[in-house]
Amino acid sequence: MSDIIASSAPRADRLRPATDEQLRWFDITETDRSRAEALAATADELAEPIIEDFYRHLLSFEGARRHFRDDDQIARVKQGQLRYFRELVAAALDDEYVANRRRIGLIHERAGVTPTLYVGAYAYYLHSLGHMVMDRMQDDPARAVSLLLSLNKIAHFDMALALETYVDTREAAIEQREREMSELPTPVLQLRDGLLLIPVVGTLDSFRARNLTVRVLERIRDLRARAVVLDITGVAAVDSAVASHLIQTMTAARLMGATAVLTGLSAEVAQALVKIGVTSEALHTAGDLQHGIEIAERLMEG
Amino acid sequence: MSPPVLPAEQVLRIARDGDIVAARQAGRLMASEIGFSRPEQALIATAISELTRNIVSYAGTGRLSCRAVQQPRRIGLRIIAEDQGPGIPDLEAALRDGYSTGNSLGLGLPGTRRIMDDFDIRSAPGQGVTVTVTKWTSC
Amino acid sequence: MAGRVAILRQGRVLIASLQEALGDSDILGLQSDILRDVIRHRATGVIVDVSALDVLDSFGTRTLADMAAAVQLRGARLAIVGIQPDVAFSMVLMGLTLTGVATARDLETGLALLTGAGE
Repeated sequence: MSDIIASSAPRADRLRPATDEQLRWFDITETDRSRAEALAATADELAEPIIEDFYRHLLSFEGARRHFRDDDQIARVKQGQLRYFRELVAAALDDEYVANRRRIGLIHERAGVTPTLYVGAYAYYLHSLGHMVMDRMQDDPARAVSLLLSLNKIAHFDMALALETYVDTREAAIEQREREMSELPTPVLQLRDGLLLIPVVGTLDSFRARNLTVRVLERIRDLRARAVVLDITGVAAVDSAVASHLIQTMTAARLMGATAVLTGLSAEVAQALVKIGVTSEALHTAGDLQHGIEIAERLMEG
Repeated sequence: MSPPVLPAEQVLRIARDGDIVAARQAGRLMASEIGFSRPEQALIATAISELTRNIVSYAGTGRLSCRAVQQPRRIGLRIIAEDQGPGIPDLEAALRDGYSTGNSLGLGLPGTRRIMDDFDIRSAPGQGVTVTVTKWTSC
Repeated sequence: MAGRVAILRQGRVLIASLQEALGDSDILGLQSDILRDVIRHRATGVIVDVSALDVLDSFGTRTLADMAAAVQLRGARLAIVGIQPDVAFSMVLMGLTLTGVATARDLETGLALLTGAGE
């Protein structure tokens, strides 16, 4: 039985490389930063017309238009965007910058700005800025390209930060939902004197399985039960880990002097039980609930 | 929510049968002060029982310390059992279910590892055994 | 020499109630006392009431299982009664399942189990 019970050690927080590491990964050097800064004046000057242009583009999409309540809101969002792109060429790219970018990513996620919208807007801005910079620096196109390529690196770094935030937020939401599933209360019903029915519903991780066991045992004591029927028809996925949790619950019930019957087993579950070495001799099982209750009643009399 | 006042560390000398009983009572009390549920208290008391029995059976004497540990989002109880006995020659085997060197304690160590959250064992032949286990409150 | 755990007799069933702060040597003492009494009183059943125990670890469980097997070799049956919810919980997580040993909720049902089986 050595590996039946999974380790309950907490999951380590996902490792996040320090800002320096990230900059190194994107190969952003001091040269890149100073080149981007060289674009600051131009970017500053051009940001407004580019953003105006972008919003004309954006608002030509009906789906996008519905995101905005009124012109005031559009004006506010434009201001935010202006600041965002100015920071791109001027910011220090330090921890504070990273934290700030992540915060903005979170706001985007909440506001329903999809990664496509976000990356699309970014591309539009870089593209427009690129054209304008090339126009203005016709006398030194090589320098223009090098400046824009540096800006490109920083922009990708910046996008990665936002996308990480999207992923993190989504993951947190999934974890939250799983947590809620695993905290679904499990009712313990008294079918008749001494006979309990426990319909287990949802996912059964080791955390919830332990809670389930504790609760079943307490009810056995309080209601002086002699038999319990554990119905797993509603359990989302029964793998060998879940199966061994269920067997633990049933074994604990037996230790307290109550017979346990497992019902609602699919063919796959029966197989999973056999795989972890359970024989029907050690375990009362039934395909459907009605049959399971009959078995439990017979065992109570015998 | 104000943080609970954590109980002070306790160090117990383990040499006799009666010390095992005293140790698990002390550990259970401390666990309840930290805020562990009753089933969790039972797990902690069981772990202490196993660790202290190993001291009495294999080393004769040793000591057990129980200490509250705090992390940003959780509190735990850390139990360290140490002795200067003969040590365990094959740690890996000792952690396998069913292994025992005579006193039929085959499930003691692997079982203890299962019921605690963190488990660490150090030993070398002739150098005694130190087992460190921690149980965290479920937050 | 009698151990620290008193053994009562009801008909041909012996009843031993373990107390909370029981040491290992007390449990071992009980084991030999019970085996002696099963023969002396020609008992058909033995009930070990553990309802006062808040811990049953690998040693305690192993000793109870040995006791049950030895009692059976002497032609009687042993039932363990009164395992508390928290104790049952930690036993199964430890992997201590007392396979093959009869269990019952309390003294009363344990007695019914043993005497009923003898009919």
